Amino acid sequence: MVTTERVEAVLARVRPYMQLDGGDIELVEVEGNSAAVRLTGRCAGCPSAHMTLYLGVEAALREQMPEFEALKVR
Amino acid sequence: MMAPSLAGPQSVVIGRSARMRAVFEFLRVIGTSESTVLITGESGTGKEITATLIHQGSRRSHRPFVAVSCALFSETLIESELFGHERGAFTGAIKDRPGRFEMADGGTLFLDDIDDVPLSMQVKLLRVLQNRTIERLGGTRTVPVNVRIIAGSKKDLQQMVAEGKFREDLFYRLNVLPLALPPLRERREDVPALMDHFIERYFRRRGDDVPPISDAVKQAFLRYRWPGNVRELENACERIAQMCTCGTVGIGCVAASVVLHGDGPLPALPAAPPAPVERPVLEAAVAPTSVVADAPISLDDRMREVEAGLIGWALRVSHGNKSRAAELLQIKRSTLGDRINRCGLGHAASPERDERRPPSLAST
Repeated sequence: MVTTERVEAVLARVRPYMQLDGGDIELVEVEGNSAAVRLTGRCAGCPSAHMTLYLGVEAALREQMPEFEALKVR
Repeated sequence: MMAPSLAGPQSVVIGRSARMRAVFEFLRVIGTSESTVLITGESGTGKEITATLIHQGSRRSHRPFVAVSCALFSETLIESELFGHERGAFTGAIKDRPGRFEMADGGTLFLDDIDDVPLSMQVKLLRVLQNRTIERLGGTRTVPVNVRIIAGSKKDLQQMVAEGKFREDLFYRLNVLPLALPPLRERREDVPALMDHFIERYFRRRGDDVPPISDAVKQAFLRYRWPGNVRELENACERIAQMCTCGTVGIGCVAASVVLHGDGPLPALPAAPPAPVERPVLEAAVAPTSVVADAPISLDDRMREVEAGLIGWALRVSHGNKSRAAELLQIKRSTLGDRINRCGLGHAASPERDERRPPSLAST
């Protein structure tokens, strides 16, 4: 079951680093087995951050919740 | 021998940690010894580079250094690889081929992944090490070889001996000068220097300036366990050099596995930076902007303007608190009152001054 809490728990593992770099990652919504996040601050304009975190966080979410489907970056 | 290696291309053995200083000390002590060395260390800890350093420090340094991983070959191929074969020794052996022992003659043979050598082959290896001669597969000649052996192992061979997976006699034959290379997670204090070194190497290789590295990246590197040790760290730096396009190495350029799988507490957020403190701007006072270069300047008037500017600044920064303003200007509270009156600045004590106006005299 993909819940806001479980998604947030994964995001909490990357958030401190992003905040250290002057950015942040926000959970916009959980919809079904997918979630949408938004990168803000310095990380928002970094194409590498989008790719790395998109792929990495999605993998971590699936590790925690095998039923997790897709992470959308808004 | 060690000094150049610290800064040169061999710098995978970079490290100021106690663990690495012990390794350097070992290398210094064994010096020009001809004895067999057994290097034990996890994958990526730099066994082959260390073997190279030992070779370079030896009297054999002008002779070949031949490295072979015993894990790369099937059981039947190892023998041919190490000892060579004669034409017709087996299907596909279409010509004579020297083995690694012969190729390393006079020099050093690094037998890596010795822990992967099957028991049947261990016997043959032991005999070669004892007799210092080899026989090619399918050959009848006994060829003497003059080879200094360095063996590399991922596993604790003594443990393997206890488990019956490694021959005790071969173990003692190899374990003359044992050297243990520490995993990177046991010398994390070396991570920053290694990171700087490889980041620099890969940005330079790309032909780019070396960008600064953000604190988040440094924290992530320090917290990660690096199961692949220095090799993994090197690869992470190479990846960063490929990903990073924005002038600073940020967390976005770091492989997610490094970011997500760290030990210990997450990095503490830095305290909010203190609000910038407004300082008085006095350029206009010091460098008068008169259009006539040699027009006379009244020193007294200028000094009063400077004074008025500074008092105005102090009152604004102290939000009209005259005691605080006096402290800022390092004068007595009563003196400040006098000067405010003299400059006609009484109104400036109000905090509702236009904050956009710089306290420079140009604006008064």
